[in-house]
Amino acid sequence: MTGSKWWWTWLAARIALALAAGLLLGLLFGYPYAGVTIVLSALLARELWALRRVQRWLRGEPGVEAPEVGGVWGDVISLIANLQRRKQYHKQRLLRLLRELRRATAAIPDGVVALNSQAEILWFNRTAARLLHLRARTDVGLRIENLVRQPEFIRYLRAGDYAQAVVVGSALDADLYLHMQLVPYGDGQSLLLVRDVSGQQRLEAMRKDFVANASHELRSPLTVIAGYLETLSQDAAIEPSLAQPIAEMRRQSTRMTGIIEDLLALSKLEASDGAADRQPINVATLCALLRRDLLARTDPATNVQIDVRSTDWLLGDEAMVHSAFANLLDNAAKYTPVGGVISMRWWTDREGGHLAVQDSGIGISPEHIPRLTERFYRVDPGRSRATGGSGLGLAIVKHVLQRHGAILEIVSTEGRGSTFTCHFPPDRLVTGVSSA
Amino acid sequence: MEAADLSHHTSRRFNEDLERVRSKVLAMGGLVEEQLAGALTALIEGDSKLGQAVARNDHTVNGMEVSIDEECSRILATRAPAAGDLRMIVATIKTITDLERIGDECEKIAHIAARLANDERPADRYRSVKHLGRITQAMVRDMLDAFARLDAELAVTTARNDRRVDEEYEAIHRQCITFMMEDPRTIRRALDIMWVVRSLERVGDHAKNVCEYIIYMVHGKDVRHTSLERVEQEIKSRSAHP
Repeated sequence: MTGSKWWWTWLAARIALALAAGLLLGLLFGYPYAGVTIVLSALLARELWALRRVQRWLRGEPGVEAPEVGGVWGDVISLIANLQRRKQYHKQRLLRLLRELRRATAAIPDGVVALNSQAEILWFNRTAARLLHLRARTDVGLRIENLVRQPEFIRYLRAGDYAQAVVVGSALDADLYLHMQLVPYGDGQSLLLVRDVSGQQRLEAMRKDFVANASHELRSPLTVIAGYLETLSQDAAIEPSLAQPIAEMRRQSTRMTGIIEDLLALSKLEASDGAADRQPINVATLCALLRRDLLARTDPATNVQIDVRSTDWLLGDEAMVHSAFANLLDNAAKYTPVGGVISMRWWTDREGGHLAVQDSGIGISPEHIPRLTERFYRVDPGRSRATGGSGLGLAIVKHVLQRHGAILEIVSTEGRGSTFTCHFPPDRLVTGVSSA
Repeated sequence: MEAADLSHHTSRRFNEDLERVRSKVLAMGGLVEEQLAGALTALIEGDSKLGQAVARNDHTVNGMEVSIDEECSRILATRAPAAGDLRMIVATIKTITDLERIGDECEKIAHIAARLANDERPADRYRSVKHLGRITQAMVRDMLDAFARLDAELAVTTARNDRRVDEEYEAIHRQCITFMMEDPRTIRRALDIMWVVRSLERVGDHAKNVCEYIIYMVHGKDVRHTSLERVEQEIKSRSAHP
């Protein structure tokens, strides 16, 4: 601050001195104004000359060094030079940082594609280039959906729900499966993360195949065993002491058949993961049918009440929905003591259709509820085996509901009973064909 | 000042319109790719359900063609595009027709696949059909990539692959005739296979047509009925002296 002030004082002093000299010389020759004018012109010329040199230097014309001019100009020049040096330093540092960052992201084993708000490609790393077949030279600035054209991916991109990821088959290689997820950031931009999940996909397919094949293979020997057991149980020549064991063997083989049937049903449900068909299903008729089946099976007959409050029909796969509801009703019947009440309710509202199966049974303690739909999960191993369940019923229900875009809600109080409610979305409903 | 702003605004909206049309065409292309892959898988794996699903889905392709066609007409009527933009619209209208035809061929293959799924699969498990399928799939994919990137060179190389498709088609044709002469019981299936490879050969032709529209769109030159070598030379000389 003091420095700059000093420059100005010095300049003012020099101008004053020059003016005084000019005036003096002018007076000497009798032309004071001319003297002052000449001195002022000279001063102006000097300053303009310095300004020109500074300008040429700033323009960066070749061969022009920082001009060696004193005074205020010298100070300005050194300040500018300082500024430039500082900027250069920061630029270098940023560049280095950027390069490091790029190298780091390029080293990420997953594919990364940066997209702007129009889903146009800003940048991508090498893995993304390999997995999605992108080319650095041409593809920056193109919309990602123009190059990754799988309909499922485009649906995912447009739907805007990026909490979930999407798995699509690669267009290049039939055996390549890509797990893709968009992560929004900043001002409408997003990162597309791509991972090769072919290995997992293959394992998953192998597991499903294995379950399906194993169940299938187990079924035929079991049919033979069950057949012989049936013949034996009706054979009068068999020793009476064997009657009890044979009856028990028959019960167990029936149960095993049930488990295998359920396993097969489940693997069939898993085999295709698209949305279920949309046949209209009359829920009232279905409930009545299920009730009749249950009453025929149980002894003494369970008290089943049906409460249908809507004439709307459900759009779904009839066989699947039937098996899901039957499983819920079976469960209710199994855990409701003699004299208990089971009710089936069907109602619709703005949020969709709802089917609730309520029992007055033993109930489930809360820590079991989240795990109920897992395969072979047992709340009480001793008890559920005694009732002869396969342990797969609720897993089947969950899968069927998933295929219909529905969810299962379980509310239960220990000792008072449980309510299993299926919530179907509104687009799965159709106004009753005949409400008679 | 206001006028300048307005024109800027209009042209931006116009650009967005064009971009949207391009994305729609490519989305339709993506669907066609999926249909083709599905139809071939249904045939090779003997999956009648998949075959039926693909055949049923063809109406989606047709619906997209109608919607893009309408949008192009709207742009022609309201924006009166010129030069490159006009070429793009014209090429788009032609492209979607060919894409729709590819969709139709996929539907045919899917129908046959659904029917053949009930029969026992042949000993070679459709190896030659699979091979031809791979080449046509790659052609369709490269054609769409060239459309997305406006890459005339890729369009030329892709168009050239049509010859390989034709050669494969001829080879399978001869093979089928041999089978039929050797064992008349295979005639029914051999005829079905002939339909499938015929469809695949048509897919290749349609893909080649689209490649020609791409060259027209990028360079403003109609290369239909011109030999590919000449087209290639021309494009090279153009990119060398822009």
